[in-house]
Amino acid sequence: MPARSPSQTVGPYYAIALPWKDGGRVTGCAGERIVLEGHVLDGAGQPVPDALIETWQAPDRDASPSTDGKPHGFGRIGADASGLYRIETAMPTGEVPYLDVIILARGLLKHLHTRVYFAEEARVRGDAAMKALASSPRLSTLIARKAAEGEYRWDVRLQGEGETVFFAA
Amino acid sequence: MNDMTRPGEVDPPYLYEGYRSTKLRAPSQPLVQVPAGTLDVPFARVGATFVKEGDNDLTVHGKAGTPLGERMVLTGRLLDESGRAIRNSLVEIWQANASGRYHHVGDQHDAPLDPNFHGLGRTMTDDEGRYRFMTVKPGSYPWPNHANAWRPQHIHFSLLGNAPVQRLVTQMYFPGDPLLALDPIYQSIPERARERLLCRLDLDVGIENYALGYQFDIVLAGAKSTPLGI
Repeated sequence: MPARSPSQTVGPYYAIALPWKDGGRVTGCAGERIVLEGHVLDGAGQPVPDALIETWQAPDRDASPSTDGKPHGFGRIGADASGLYRIETAMPTGEVPYLDVIILARGLLKHLHTRVYFAEEARVRGDAAMKALASSPRLSTLIARKAAEGEYRWDVRLQGEGETVFFAA
Repeated sequence: MNDMTRPGEVDPPYLYEGYRSTKLRAPSQPLVQVPAGTLDVPFARVGATFVKEGDNDLTVHGKAGTPLGERMVLTGRLLDESGRAIRNSLVEIWQANASGRYHHVGDQHDAPLDPNFHGLGRTMTDDEGRYRFMTVKPGSYPWPNHANAWRPQHIHFSLLGNAPVQRLVTQMYFPGDPLLALDPIYQSIPERARERLLCRLDLDVGIENYALGYQFDIVLAGAKSTPLGI
């Protein structure tokens, strides 16, 4: 059996290759259009301008193939100079809607897996996938805050107070 | 949290003393276990129109000619841990030019940019999981991690795989590079797994009188629950 390749940091220069044209605009998902925005912050509360955020959600079964080949349901966007990211998509489907999220950055020797939920805390606590966090106060770090109709805020704190929950892959 | 002493651990820890940027970015809380299968839900696939003709040849992106440096063919297979080929999967690479300078506004290293080398490539794996790039060997360059720190020659790889659990971003290095022993990013990998990131000279995959050849296979995690559709 071949042995798995180890991870290495994405480094500071991933912008040469990884950000795609319109990468922050998710295709293939019908439903209420939403915008998710937030900062990625380090252990000193400082923004991480060289973070890369990827989001996954199930696309519609009957979505027509994308013309540019970009996979449906996938968002990939670099944070800007102030550490702000912005994803435009549709409200994920499912009982307790969420996006799968991967965070990459210089200084992260391996990417981080997490989720952002668009639901009230009580419903997220009842989600079977969050069983390990059912009674943890940290669960709230996975819930987006509704800022306006169709607009949600969610900050990612890599370290320290209010540290976002990350999952073991 | 990743623990280098854990038997079988392959990846670096998040906090690694020698790599300064980990200090404020490494999570301090243990990673949370989620039920098996949570990260196995397959992604939608990248479509055939995503990669354009020539995207896998980094030596033809210039307007004024071919880039400086040692030309090399870089090829290998993308596999999962059970040895199965990962077919029709996106491989993205980026790298410094032969002088050790990235085509990126943030790179202020006093080495020349090459107008004929942008340093990005993408391709899809074929039915055997094989990818192939034509590029030039990247140069080493200094970085501010510690006094007189220089990165070994490397090429960055990004692999989507078929599901979140397979996502991998890594770096490929060259065998015999004396900077490997001094590089905290490479040294952060548990010793047993480090050499998996070294490519292998294979002149047979090169082009006689034109380009050196290197092979580099990449192995992604397998699914924790059901096999992923490939």
